[in-house]
Amino acid sequence: MIQGLVQLFLFQALGELLSKFALPFIPGPVLGLVLLLAFLALRGHVPASMDGVGSSILQHLGLLFIPASVGVVLYLPLLQANAWAITAALVLSVVATVAVVALVLKLFAKKDSTP
Amino acid sequence: MNNNLPPISEIWVYLSGSPLLALVLTLSAYLLGLTVYERSQRNPLANPVLIAVVLVCIGIGVIDMPYAQYFEGAQFVHFLLGTATVSLAIPIYKGFASLKGRMGVLLLSLLAGGITSVLTAVGMARWLGVDEALVRGLVAKSVTAPIAMGIAERVQASPTLTAIFAVSTGILGAVLGRYVLDALRIKAWWQRGFALGVAAHGIGTSRAFSVNAEAGAYASLGMGLHGIAGAMLIPYAVAWWF
Repeated sequence: MIQGLVQLFLFQALGELLSKFALPFIPGPVLGLVLLLAFLALRGHVPASMDGVGSSILQHLGLLFIPASVGVVLYLPLLQANAWAITAALVLSVVATVAVVALVLKLFAKKDSTP
Repeated sequence: MNNNLPPISEIWVYLSGSPLLALVLTLSAYLLGLTVYERSQRNPLANPVLIAVVLVCIGIGVIDMPYAQYFEGAQFVHFLLGTATVSLAIPIYKGFASLKGRMGVLLLSLLAGGITSVLTAVGMARWLGVDEALVRGLVAKSVTAPIAMGIAERVQASPTLTAIFAVSTGILGAVLGRYVLDALRIKAWWQRGFALGVAAHGIGTSRAFSVNAEAGAYASLGMGLHGIAGAMLIPYAVAWWF
C-alpha cells in the first residue's frame, strides 16, 4: 500500500516540476496523470499496490473537495443575488452538453464501428 | 459545579487551535452525507458532498470559526486532491481496454461537448447579467472537480466557485441526463454513459455505474478524457477569448 502511495506521489511531484518549469498553463497533477498514463501503457498493467491506493482515494474523491467548497460561505451574498441566472445557465449547459455528446456519438458511431 | 475542571473556554481555545477540529468536522460531515446518500438508494439529489458542505458551513457558523481557520486545519484533506487527480490515470487506462476502436468518435464528441459546455454556460450567464466574478467560475464546471480547481487557478477564477458549480453540474446531469437521452432516443449504453461522464463527471459517472456497467466504464472514460482535454485547452481558450 505504501509502495503505491509513494509511486502516486512521485508522479504528482514529476507533474508539478514539469508544470513549474516547462508548461505553466497546465496544472501539475494533470501532467502527473498523463505521465502515469504513459507509464501504465508502457508497463501494460496497473501495479497491484498502486491500484489499491488509487481506488481507495478515488472512491472518496468527493471528500477531498469539501474544504475548498466550504469557501462558498464567502460568496453567499453574490450567489444569492444571481441564484436564478446561475441555475438557468447550469441547467441549460448540462442539458446541451449531454445532448451534443450523445448526438455526435449516434451520428458518427456507425462509420467508426458497430456495437 | 465542576470547579476542578478547566473552564470550557480554555478547552475550546486549545481544540480550535489544532487541525483536529476542522478534520473531525469535515470527515464526520462526509460520513453523515454518505449515510444519507446510501439510505436514499443513492439518489443523486442526496449528494454526499453537497450534504457535507452544507453541514460544515452550518457547523463553522455555529462555532463562529472563520473560513480561513477552518481551511488551515482541513488542508490535509485538500492536499490529497492532487494525488487523486494523478490516480485518475488508473480508470482511464482500464477504460482504454474496452474501447473497441471507438477512440476517434469519442474524441470528436468530447471536443463538441466540451465546447458546448463552456459556450452555453458562459453565454447564458452573461446574457442574464450574472456578475463577472461568478462567470469565470463556470468555465471549468463540467470538468471533474479536482482538475477543475486546478484549471480555475490558471484562469483567475475562484477554485471554490468552480468546485460548487462542478458539484451542481454533476447533480443536475445525474438527475436530468436520462430524460435528455431518452428524448433523443439514444439507446446504446456506451453512448449514454460517455455523454453523462463528459457532461456530469464523477457524479454522472456513479449514476451511470448504478444503471449499467458498460455505461459506467464509458462514463468514467468520458470524465477522465474531459479532465485531460479541459486542462490542456481551457486555459488557452480563456486567455484568448476573455
